Amino acid sequence: MRLPESQVAVLNAASATDERTIAQLAEATDQKPETVTGAVFDLRDEGLVSVTETTEESVELTDEGAEYAEDGLPEVRLYRAALDVGDGDAVPMGQVIGASSLGGPQVDIALSNFARKGYGHIDSGELAPDADADPDADEEAAALAALESGESVDADVLDQLESRNLVVRHERTIRAVTLTDEGVTALMEGVEAAETVDRLTPEMLTSGEWEDVEFTEYNVEADAPEARGGKKHILRQTADRVKDVLTGMGFAEMEGPHADADFWINDCLFMPQDHPARTHWDRFALDVPPMEDIPEDLIDNVRDAHLNGVGEDGDGYHSPWSEDFARAIALRGHTTSLSMRYLSGHEVGELEPPQRYFSVEKVYRNDTLDPTHLLEFYQIEGWVMAEDLSVRDLMGTFEEFYSHFGITDIQFKPHYNPYTEPSFELFGRHPETGELIEIGNSGMFREEVLRPLGVECDVMAWGLALERLLMLMYGFDDIRDVHGTLCDLDLLRETEVLK
Amino acid sequence: MPVVDVQPDELRRLTGHEDKSDEEFKDDLFALGLEFEGVTDDGAFQLEFGPDRLDRLSVEGVARSLRYQYGDARGVSVPNTNDPDWTFVVDDDVPDERPYVTGAVVRGIDLDDAALDSLIQLQEKLHATMGRKRAKGAIGIHDLTMLKGDVLSENASGNSITYTGIEPDGDTFVALDSNDELTPAEVLEQHDTGRKYADLVSEYDRYPAIYDEIGLFSFPPVINGRRTEVSTDSRDLLVELTGTDQWTIDRMCNIICYALAARGATIEDVEVQYEEGTVVKPDFEVETKHVSHDRIETVLGVELELDEVIDLFERSGLDADAELGDETVYEVSIPPYRVDVLHPLDLVDDVGRAYGFNELEPRYPDVGTVGQRHERSRLEDAVRTSLVGLGFEDLLNFHMISEGENYERMDVEVGSDSLGGGEPASITEPYSEDYTMLRTWVLPSLTMVLENNTHRAYPQDLAEIGHVAHRDDDENTRVAESRHVAAVLARHDATYEDAKARLAALCRDFDAELETPATEHPSFIDGRTAAVVIDGEEVGVVGELHPKVIVDHDLELPVAAFEFDLSALA
Repeated sequence: MRLPESQVAVLNAASATDERTIAQLAEATDQKPETVTGAVFDLRDEGLVSVTETTEESVELTDEGAEYAEDGLPEVRLYRAALDVGDGDAVPMGQVIGASSLGGPQVDIALSNFARKGYGHIDSGELAPDADADPDADEEAAALAALESGESVDADVLDQLESRNLVVRHERTIRAVTLTDEGVTALMEGVEAAETVDRLTPEMLTSGEWEDVEFTEYNVEADAPEARGGKKHILRQTADRVKDVLTGMGFAEMEGPHADADFWINDCLFMPQDHPARTHWDRFALDVPPMEDIPEDLIDNVRDAHLNGVGEDGDGYHSPWSEDFARAIALRGHTTSLSMRYLSGHEVGELEPPQRYFSVEKVYRNDTLDPTHLLEFYQIEGWVMAEDLSVRDLMGTFEEFYSHFGITDIQFKPHYNPYTEPSFELFGRHPETGELIEIGNSGMFREEVLRPLGVECDVMAWGLALERLLMLMYGFDDIRDVHGTLCDLDLLRETEVLK
Repeated sequence: MPVVDVQPDELRRLTGHEDKSDEEFKDDLFALGLEFEGVTDDGAFQLEFGPDRLDRLSVEGVARSLRYQYGDARGVSVPNTNDPDWTFVVDDDVPDERPYVTGAVVRGIDLDDAALDSLIQLQEKLHATMGRKRAKGAIGIHDLTMLKGDVLSENASGNSITYTGIEPDGDTFVALDSNDELTPAEVLEQHDTGRKYADLVSEYDRYPAIYDEIGLFSFPPVINGRRTEVSTDSRDLLVELTGTDQWTIDRMCNIICYALAARGATIEDVEVQYEEGTVVKPDFEVETKHVSHDRIETVLGVELELDEVIDLFERSGLDADAELGDETVYEVSIPPYRVDVLHPLDLVDDVGRAYGFNELEPRYPDVGTVGQRHERSRLEDAVRTSLVGLGFEDLLNFHMISEGENYERMDVEVGSDSLGGGEPASITEPYSEDYTMLRTWVLPSLTMVLENNTHRAYPQDLAEIGHVAHRDDDENTRVAESRHVAAVLARHDATYEDAKARLAALCRDFDAELETPATEHPSFIDGRTAAVVIDGEEVGVVGELHPKVIVDHDLELPVAAFEFDLSALA
């Protein structure tokens, strides 16, 4: 029979007639007790040894107990001090305490035990020692001394000491081992030690030694040290998913400046210049000179749309329009500025229908920073250009898009935007909670937007905050934990990846 | 978006649907695009809606829309008006900045508390929206019986008031909510409402003022006089509006007149005597626009009968006459309270709403296009995948930052040649002192993330590919924008080598040749800093962060880092 070395040693050291404890076996085999314990359990499981377990109690002095064993119990010290000071008569308490050199909580301990043990009386602030008391016969003091020198003491006194927190009792399991009949037989038949190894080494593999070794068993259920790899940011993962879905639906990605002229950000969108969203506290104007290079014909067309409308029956806004304001540069409040650049033909050349374009990029809003609003966030923007698009096409496109995110039962609430007509707020059924939630804003671009850009067909568009999609799908409570320098690394590390 | 408070009992009374429950109203209102947001302390519905149908800024307007929705009303309705008795004389002294006035006389109104509250709310909401916080148009409503008209000269009969301009201290009056005789200038300084609206007129040489025979009674757009204050006892009202645009104040006036007429009042015209001629107000002219049957069908994506379309128009409070020909075209009449119809397509939207957009069957548009990612975003994605493979946690930080974080805490000087030293693209009126400019580089953001996560387990190996920008007047946008790749390794034994090893691995992935000649950068330790030279071009920096930067960010371990321009890997 081949057994690991530690088990062979234990088997040889054990007896069929006499019980041997783990400690004895450890000494006999020159192994660590925990190694022996492991070997014993393995041998027992093999049926080669039997194990009996008994409980042994040991008593240990606490720090306080050890101190009293050294200096004497506080009540005894109090008694002796009282005798010294008053020579057998009652004496004022303060005087005795001073003489006893007791301090802090020991004073209360001394006083309560003084009376309990009949060392005297305390009355009206005076302490009267009983001359007949014998501190040398104090059972508790004697027991402390005995325990300190390793002797056993009476159980009642021990209980008393334990209640005074002067001792603690420990229970310990003593395992005693005897050889079973199978163990004796195995030994008689001969037991050899198999070599066990901790690690498989390159040398073992090349030398062939691995064939002769046993591998020590690991506790495979124990926790392993934490390993950590890098991970794409959860918002990037969400953006990637959106981009996958949209490219799959035939959309091409747009790209363009974050800082842009208000002309591209708002005027092309037929946002009146006195619209509340264009006031200084809602936009991030940049402290730079205005944009010089904007096609003049485009400026003329856009100005005319604002002032006079588009088409025979069209009306303009009854608001002034300033070219200086249009040329002023700000951070874009929406990526629709990219859509305007592409639709105008100034980004990738004149576009002929049909076209589909999208972007998932940052926009900047001078809003209140709170758990669901950031000053900068990602906007999903998409549009479809084709002849004779209808509201039904718009609805079909969005149903398709949102179905990829598990959002169904899309509803279209008629809405108003200055740049689209008809316009719809989109609502959908949350995949987990079943709630009806707002999931975007959409519509058909107005002719006042398209005609000045030179687009003669229809264009439908929609927008949605990427963060909103993330929060809806992953239930983050506070977007600031994820996006920005206040992010929580643990949250990012532990966030489940997007499947 | 505007929110209007509407008492459901008022709605029941004004629609004549006394038996409608609150819940039924909520559904009907949602169908109109008015979203129920909650109730006020005194039980009114708070309804939010898009700022197009400003005629719904009061319970009267909401009730009118519901009556069309229920089919209780059809087509365009215009209140009858009585002949003018009052004239608004516009004086030469009127401030050039605010030359327009309009108004009406309203008689026989029964103002209970609810009606008065509604009128005040409508006035406030119109100020906030069309009136652009009173800058573009401001409304004054007065108890007519408290006014004493000047008798017009010569043969004319009737009464007149005068819209003029006066010196800031040119006269005194007692303003609403006040007991003191104050000049307009004193109102702007001493009266709460005056202070609130002072900016609107403080630049004017002459302040707008309206007089009757007794004296100054209104200081538009700031405040009315106390003498003509409207109460529940008022039976006849004078409405005046001043502003910077005639059309805007005329429409605001119309919305008020329609609301008061809905409560049984009679509207009486007024004459406005401008220097260039006299006009009669309110302007209840019904305008028309033309839209083809075909356009309605293509926008909605359904086929419709002619009668059906006319019915849908009438249910929207419009009238339509079909002009048959090669192409059927409708001449659509638009009531004078509508302020949102700029183009015939706006009428198609009305038809769609009346038809019920949610009745339409969605369809996927049958047009073929080719989808693709932009080159830049593909590259960014590939580099990000490599960084993650190298064990970096991918981060995403704000593009806006403060100058202190971007420069000072990194020990970089503004306008220096060092990476990150570019001139800032600054925000003119920053909302928060933490976000005053676009970041010129990414490492400040990553260092801040380290600073905010010292309680989290190390090593912290973080990377970001992100947008950076600096001011450059040669650019058309005046801002040079690019993307940088940046990484930090914060660990107890981080060295230059750790950063360079990963940088080199990244360059290998993109078949880019990396050289790292020694350089200096104020954020890094001298002698442990190199320029990142990719394919012969200097594009960034790699090294060990300087202890003063580390300590300033409350970090207690070394940080190795690199940052370079993403386009180098293209």
